[in-house]
Parts: sequence; structure tokens; C-alpha cells
Amino acid sequence: MQGDVDIGELIMHHTGDVYAIDFSPLFKWEYGKFLPDLHIGSLTLNLTPTRHVVFMLLVALLVFASMWLTGRALERQRAHERAPKGLANAMEAFVLFVRNDIAIQNIGHRGAAFAPYIMTLFFFILYGNLLGLLPWGATVTGNLAVTAGLALMALVVIEVSGMVALGFKGYMRTIFPAIPGLKGVGALALSVAMAPIEILGKLVKPFALCVRLFGNMTAGHFVILSLFGLVFLFGHVVAWRWAIGVGSATLVLGVMLLELIVALVQAYVFALITAVLIGVNQHAH
Amino acid sequence: MTLPMLVLAAAEDGAGGGPFSLEPGLIIWTWIVFIALFLLLKRFAWPAILRATEERERTIARQLDEAERLNGEAKAALEEHKRLLANARHDAHALLQEAKAAADKEREMLLQRAREEHDQVLERTRKEIGAERERAIAELRREAVDVSLAAAAKLIGERLDADADADRKLVERYLAAMGDRH
Repeated sequence: MQGDVDIGELIMHHTGDVYAIDFSPLFKWEYGKFLPDLHIGSLTLNLTPTRHVVFMLLVALLVFASMWLTGRALERQRAHERAPKGLANAMEAFVLFVRNDIAIQNIGHRGAAFAPYIMTLFFFILYGNLLGLLPWGATVTGNLAVTAGLALMALVVIEVSGMVALGFKGYMRTIFPAIPGLKGVGALALSVAMAPIEILGKLVKPFALCVRLFGNMTAGHFVILSLFGLVFLFGHVVAWRWAIGVGSATLVLGVMLLELIVALVQAYVFALITAVLIGVNQHAH
Repeated sequence: MTLPMLVLAAAEDGAGGGPFSLEPGLIIWTWIVFIALFLLLKRFAWPAILRATEERERTIARQLDEAERLNGEAKAALEEHKRLLANARHDAHALLQEAKAAADKEREMLLQRAREEHDQVLERTRKEIGAERERAIAELRREAVDVSLAAAAKLIGERLDADADADRKLVERYLAAMGDRH
């Protein structure tokens, strides 16, 4: 087997997106790009569901199912006036952590209104990260388009909520900042000069969100697959084959454990930074 | 394979290829899936999970408001009490002052009256004594004239005629001289 496996190709294939559902060797369905390309201006897009779309739907389904069941279990426990217990109780604590310590704490007194968004964001990313670690799983959060979609949505939420909270004039102050210690023409000139930087600042933050999540999730898979690649690279060393296998598997196990932490941390970081940015735009500064 | 080569490989694959490709259609899918999930969770899951917590938060917020209100009321009541106490103290002080002034005036008046009465009594007594004395003197004088006349008559009877005017005048002259000396 060794020799004819291009590990680079394998990595690209694994982390990339395809118009196919691949559970090989059990099951593989290559349906191809069955919808036509749409041209909007210079933009070409195709809405044929890819493997990542399918997994995204699966992620959404899993998030919804687990939360819905948690809610139902909690309501039943409350109806019988029983003490909260079991998985539902743990999930409640988890959800409350996201709501209180990520959303409300960082957004402020209007945090409760944004909590559903932050909670959905957190669990969507978390489930997406974790699903990618399962065998045959695809990491939807390791797709640049998905993280870009989430980041663009965050950008819209951050700026629109800022506009609503600060009013038009207050919001414009976040683009044309008040220069302390200056008055008249000088302040105006400096304020206008600052505008491109402020606008760039607004755009860079979601861009960082997008790239950070994508990079973290993709890098983990690169590392895992590269470590597995050792098997193929050194498999021809007949005498040490078993050691290569054991070593590679041990390293992968370690990285997998690390990836579990990364999956949690990246979901936390994305939700946290989004909450912080929403919070910053809630108050004139 | 180095990273630039990976990127190149991805670029060659085009849309739906390697990990570095960005398929705009997938962004739309992300929005659709995420917003659908958001709405479903907001409608069916979060309320059930958060109900207990939100109720507790509302209860605490209500209790805090209530406590603040009661605290405000208590403070207002305390202020009112303090004000009333100060007023009462002021009133009592004024009353005391007034009473003292009235007492002083009364005493002054009584003293004045006592003094006047005393003066009147003294005056009256003095007048009475004076009148009494005048009467006593006149009485005495008449008695003295009579006695003197009787004595003189007895003494001079032998040789003077009591009815003789000259004799009588002599005696009266003498008595007048006595009265002047008196």
C-alpha cells in the first residue's frame, strides 16, 4: 500500500469540501454539482449542498435535538418538582455558563437579549468542531466559507446592534472618533483621517474570528493526518513497522485529546469575542 | 508539501476543492442553517432551559426593586421623624421661653401692685395719724384752756373776776404763746 499514497493529496481531500457523501469503504455517494452556477455581478456561487453543508445540517440537527431534549427533560423535572439531575442538569449548567459568563457578562445589561444568538453560536461551533473529530466526520468549522459566513453574521450583529444602541449620531462617532484635547478644524481633520482606520478596525475583528476558527480547526486535522502519514512514509522500513504504527497512533491520540480542548476553546473564543465586540458597541466610548 | 504548495493545490481544485477555497454558496448555506437553528432554538429550546433561571432573575430583580423602594420609604420616614422632632423641640423651647416671659411679667406686675398698695396704705395711715393728731391737739388745746381757766378761776377767783374781759384775754394770750411754742 505504501508508496502509492500521496499524504498531501489525502490531507487536502480530507479537509476540503466535495460534492459527495463519503463514508468509504462502507458507503460513498458522489452526486456532483447538480445545481447550476449563479452569477451575481462578478460573483459566481453554487448552492449545491456539499459534504460540509450536509454535516452542517447534521450539526444543526444535533444541537437542536440535544437542546430540545434538555429543555423537555428540565421542564418535566420541574413539573414533578424533582431536583434537577443527570445530563439535562449538566447541559443546563453549560448553557447557563454561555449565557451568563460569555453573553451577559461581556455585553452588559442588554446581554440577555443577545444571549440566544451567542448560545446558538457557541453550541453550533462546538458541535461542528467535535463532529469533525469523529471517524468519517467532516469539520464544517474548518471550512473557510463557513467561518466566513459566521464572521460576516457576527459583523452584521455587532454593527447593527451598535447602531440601534448608540443611535445614528453615536454610531458615527465610532467611525469618526472624538479627538480629545482638540477643537474645530484640527479635530475634524484628525477625525476624518481616523475614519479609514476605524472602519478597517471594524472589519479586521470579524476577519480574525473567521481565520482563527478556520486555522485552528484545519491545523489540528493537518497535524493528525500528517502524523498518520508517518505510517505511509516509513511503512517500508520492515523491521520497525510496528514501532512506527504505535508511535504514530500514540502521537495522534495526544493530538486528538488536544483537539478536544481546542474544540471547546475555539467555540468559547468565537462566542466570547463576538460578545465582547457587541458589548463594546453598546456604549459610547 | 509546504503551505504555499497546499494553497496552490487548493487553488487549482477551485470551488468545492481544498481547504483554502472559499465557495460563496457555502456562506449562504451557513447563514440559512445558522438562522434556522437560531430560530428553532429560540422558539423551542432556550425558553425551556432558561425558564427557571430567568424566573429566578426576575424574582431577584423584583425583590431588589422592592427593597430599594422600602429603603427609600424608610429614609423618608426617618427624615420626617427627624423634622418632626426638631419642630417639637423648637416648639417646646418657644413655649418655655414664652412661659418664662409671662411669669416674669406677672411677677413684675404683682410686685408693682404690692408696692403701690403698700404706698397707699402708708399714705392713708400717715393721713389718718396726721388728722388724729390735729384732732388730739385741738382737743388738748380746748381741755387745756378749760383746765387753765378753771385753775386760773380757782386761783384768781379770790382776786380776779372771771367774767372780766381783760382777765380772759390775758389768759388766752398766754395760751396762744404756748401754742406757738408748741
